[in-house]
Amino acid sequence: MTARKYLTAAIVIVVLGGAHVFAWQTTEVSPGALVDGWRGMARFLAEALPPDLDWDTVVQPGLEACLTTLAIGLLGTTLSIPAALLFAVLGTRGRNRIVYQVSRSVMSFLRAVPDVVFALVFVTAVGLGPFAGVLALICHNVGVLGKLWSEAMDEVDPGPADALRVSGAGEAQVVANAVLPAVVPALVGLLLYRFDVNVRSSLVLGLVGAGGVGFLINQSIQLFQFDQMATYILMVLVLIVAVDLLSAAVRRRLG
Amino acid sequence: MEKALSVKGLRKSFGDRVVLNGVDFDVAAGEFVVLLGANGSGKSTALRCVVGLAEADAGEVAIAGDRAAMVFQQIHLVRRRSVIDNVCAGGLAGLPLSRSLSPVLFPKDLRAKAMACLDRVGLADRAKDRAGSLSGGQQQRVAVARALCQGAGVLLADEPVSALDPAAATQVMSLLAELAHRDGLAVAAVLHQPDLARRHADRVLGLLHGEIRLSTSASDLSDVDIEALYAPDRVFA
Ligand SMILES: Nc1ncnc2c1ncn2[C@@H]1O[C@H](COP(=O)(O)OP(=O)(O)OP(=O)(O)O)[C@@H](O)[C@H]1O
Ligand SMILES: [Mg+2]
Repeated sequence: MTARKYLTAAIVIVVLGGAHVFAWQTTEVSPGALVDGWRGMARFLAEALPPDLDWDTVVQPGLEACLTTLAIGLLGTTLSIPAALLFAVLGTRGRNRIVYQVSRSVMSFLRAVPDVVFALVFVTAVGLGPFAGVLALICHNVGVLGKLWSEAMDEVDPGPADALRVSGAGEAQVVANAVLPAVVPALVGLLLYRFDVNVRSSLVLGLVGAGGVGFLINQSIQLFQFDQMATYILMVLVLIVAVDLLSAAVRRRLG
Repeated sequence: MEKALSVKGLRKSFGDRVVLNGVDFDVAAGEFVVLLGANGSGKSTALRCVVGLAEADAGEVAIAGDRAAMVFQQIHLVRRRSVIDNVCAGGLAGLPLSRSLSPVLFPKDLRAKAMACLDRVGLADRAKDRAGSLSGGQQQRVAVARALCQGAGVLLADEPVSALDPAAATQVMSLLAELAHRDGLAVAAVLHQPDLARRHADRVLGLLHGEIRLSTSASDLSDVDIEALYAPDRVFA
């Protein structure tokens, strides 16, 4: 028995080791390149500092783009609510097996495709701009939010619903007066969390052409205007911290 | 006496495990019956079959007025809602959806009825408080009020006092006895405290091996009866 254990351990170590060697080679890890690149990094930093704070050419467009980014995150979250709710309800346990499997699979698929990939698809479909970003966020978020919501619904205590069922209440009355009051705070909390994540994603979406401040960052890198890029990154930092604080504060009040 | 609840030949199995093997009992209007039995003897299952939360394999259940009301050990109130809204929720059956989807839509007469039920359990002054802010004993009385708001003639209670301290337990037991004796309800409660049964109930039933093996007036309940129900050498079904 112990011999077999040692053998298993040895195999695991060899396989894991082999996997790392392979990964090291495929990703072309090269500490030497990092050291050689040190000068480049320093020059890059020197150019980025101090940030370009010119109001007309950098700060104002940057602020507007931040608003666009926020707007993409907001619409991407809000507009995904109906479909997420539908799939979440259909994907709760105790449902018809086929309905359950189909809705879980749809959500898994939407979750598995990264929003950047959706964005690239929609950029070719509806052209460069924030709308492509909104569509991309909706698609990915329906999968994630739907799954989070249906898990939250599965965890609800069935007791209050049973109590109303005993009294002869219909299923819609039970949902409205026992299930929803118990589950809505959790659903709203998860929604805010997704808003937070989606604002951050909409930055990355901007990098692939879906508008917002991410788009400006991409542009400034391509034009080698690193001091402008530094300004945009500072703005992003403030934006993300603000959204994070806001959603955390609201979630705390809900809990 | 008039039988408000009559159960005959109730059978229920989970897989090969026979839990109820022909349970018969009646509860008359105005009578308070306590059901005793060891853990796992099937008391909850019997009550759940009576109110339709579980489906019996066989047997007949006759309830005066068709539907029994029930209170639970875990109380099962919606803690975020007000006390009065919780009580109203017991009387939703038959209301159109347009009046029952949210507490702001509940009709005035339902609110008045709920208020009367709340007054009956002595908590009218807490109507506007959040249900979750009340003590366990008070919450259980709110749950009783919600059951009353249903307007049923039969009230079942599954371990209504198991989570309560002795004073709160006595209060809830007195309330259940009063509902039987003064308001004429047929009340059946599952308990794990024979002493409370002796003090408050009219009649005691004992469930063992899936059947009612004991039926006696509460004043005649002896220690030997109790020993037989909970004896360590009993054979599990
Ligand atoms: N949904 C279920 N599925 C499978 N078995 C169940 C289910 N509900 C109850 N049982 C089984 O039925 C038996 C009786 O359970 P029940 O809850 O009715 O007992 P009880 O008398 O209420 O016990 P307690 O005093 O612990 O509340 C137990 O063996 C339990 O495991
Ligand atoms: Mg039980």
